[in-house]
Amino acid sequence: MITSDRAPTRTDDSGRARLPDRSGYTTAGDGVRLAYDVYGSGEPTLLFLPSAPIVHSRQWKGQVPYFSRTHRVVTYDGRGNGLSDRPTTPEAYHDDLMTSDIASVMDATGTERAVLIGLCVDGVWRSIRLAAEHPERVLGIVAFGIGVPRIGPVQEHYKTAGAQFDDELPVYQGWGNYNRHIWTSDYERFARFFFTEITSEPHSTKAIEDATRWAVDGSVDAMLAEREAAFPWDLEGIEATVGNVRCPILLVHGTEDTCQRPERAQRLAELTGAPLVLVEGADHMIPGRHPVLANLLIRDFIRSLPEASNDGR
Amino acid sequence: MATVLAPESDPPVDTTRARQPDATGFIERDGVRVFWERYGEGAPTLLLMPTWSLFHSRHWKFQIPYLARLFRVVTFDGRGNGRSDRPEESAAYADTEYVADALAVLEATDTHRAVVIGMSMGAGYALRLAAEHPDRVLGAVFIGATIPILDRDPATPEIQVDPSFEEPPTDDSDRGTYYNANYWRRDYPGFAAWFVGEKVFTEPHSTKQIDDGIGWALETDADTLVTLEYGSYLSPPEDWEREPADGRALLFARRVRCPALVIHGDDDHISRWAVGERLARELHAPVLTIAGGGHAPQARWPVLVDRAIRDFVRGLEVSP
Repeated sequence: MITSDRAPTRTDDSGRARLPDRSGYTTAGDGVRLAYDVYGSGEPTLLFLPSAPIVHSRQWKGQVPYFSRTHRVVTYDGRGNGLSDRPTTPEAYHDDLMTSDIASVMDATGTERAVLIGLCVDGVWRSIRLAAEHPERVLGIVAFGIGVPRIGPVQEHYKTAGAQFDDELPVYQGWGNYNRHIWTSDYERFARFFFTEITSEPHSTKAIEDATRWAVDGSVDAMLAEREAAFPWDLEGIEATVGNVRCPILLVHGTEDTCQRPERAQRLAELTGAPLVLVEGADHMIPGRHPVLANLLIRDFIRSLPEASNDGR
Repeated sequence: MATVLAPESDPPVDTTRARQPDATGFIERDGVRVFWERYGEGAPTLLLMPTWSLFHSRHWKFQIPYLARLFRVVTFDGRGNGRSDRPEESAAYADTEYVADALAVLEATDTHRAVVIGMSMGAGYALRLAAEHPDRVLGAVFIGATIPILDRDPATPEIQVDPSFEEPPTDDSDRGTYYNANYWRRDYPGFAAWFVGEKVFTEPHSTKQIDDGIGWALETDADTLVTLEYGSYLSPPEDWEREPADGRALLFARRVRCPALVIHGDDDHISRWAVGERLARELHAPVLTIAGGGHAPQARWPVLVDRAIRDFVRGLEVSP
């Protein structure tokens, strides 16, 4: 059954600008409990996807209060962080489960269809999968820091650090912190390093501090399990899936993104014909670091959707 | 006539501003030109006062775009920074000159009465304006007020010129080292970085405010600030009665008749919270205490401050 290495926590809840109107849990197909929050009213529903298990749903703190004024907003903590369960087996982080979690939360919150908004692989690839496999549930996708595996090159530092992830190193410097022994001995050090790297613009201290805290809310064992989860897709399968998406998409990517290279965004734009907003000088964490820009892009995208999207659920 | 150093040329339009002024101009008094800006069409007019000329009117950058949607906003660069002149005599930097500049800017912008808002030393200029020209002031907001109101308490030495100011640093406190004319002349950017980065903005996550503030500081120079240091500040007219133990700013506060609001951080490293609290008590004004706030909450806590200003102004009974 499910084993969690620590009790679910989600600090940083007391200072929220907007509290949820309803919170609850849904149980995924494998028994993992997922914590969700629902805010506001107004169609279409906006579903903000998790980038778990490294952070939890507070990653959308710059979006939730703004959109809750005009729309129904749903967020959830991805498995492995926040108030959701923290399974510690790689099978629990299989791509199929991470994708079906989206539908589970939609079912539990009575959300037939939604605009999906996501960041990086967990937010972008899985929204594309859901839109390809269940087009009736996805009205549109806003994708930040485009994380679709294999369609473009991986950042070199992930290759280098990934190759020696399990090794004991004489010193752990720079991306050497992306290492099992740092994760298990000083996870906060890794988290602070990682978010400092991928939030590299000036004046990002709050964004880095927030993300580091959300990471520390989570579970190292969940991170290790997720790292070993199978990802049973080759390039051909991924491109075929992308090709099956019919809903409107907006792509947003920073020119200085040190997590996902801009080539992936360019390639996804080619494959889908979706507009790509390249944000000059921005790194990976655009929704947190540039909330006004991100919110106006999302707002205008929603306004551009066909009328039928706004006809009620 | 004063000797005047003018900025060498007009700066290019700053296209990064969230809101451009609707009108700009200069007033000139005794050969000193002072640059003003006007925004918005609402009522009443808010006059955003200059502060210590380490900064210029961009220290109101988070107030202007918001408040100009609701009210008419006038601001000006204090003499000694920005697009205003840098006179070379200390007398030209007396608080009475800043007050007279404010009155001239009100004339130039056809403003009969205004709500005056000042921060740090600008709160002192606003206080003097409100005390001496009650017919021009509808209300007053004092932010991080740096005024000699607790005279028996040496908590505000920065507004008195210490004899050691012109001597080589003698004590090894950071204040003794950095708040010194010799140091300013030797390493003015170092002083600006210390003052703005370690004394004004003490809150976490202030890197942008610190960058901005150092940038404004570098638009003037050490000689100008040393000259300004000897300008008189809140010296009451001789014929005003006073109790020996009173901080001299109290004499001004007692003459203020308009509604007032005091905003002060409880972690202000330039002017202690007790200064704002004492001012508020004298004015019978509410004090908005910003928990964890430093010296410049209008820049570091703009939403809080803007809303407090909005609500204060809306609460005034303003006849058209």
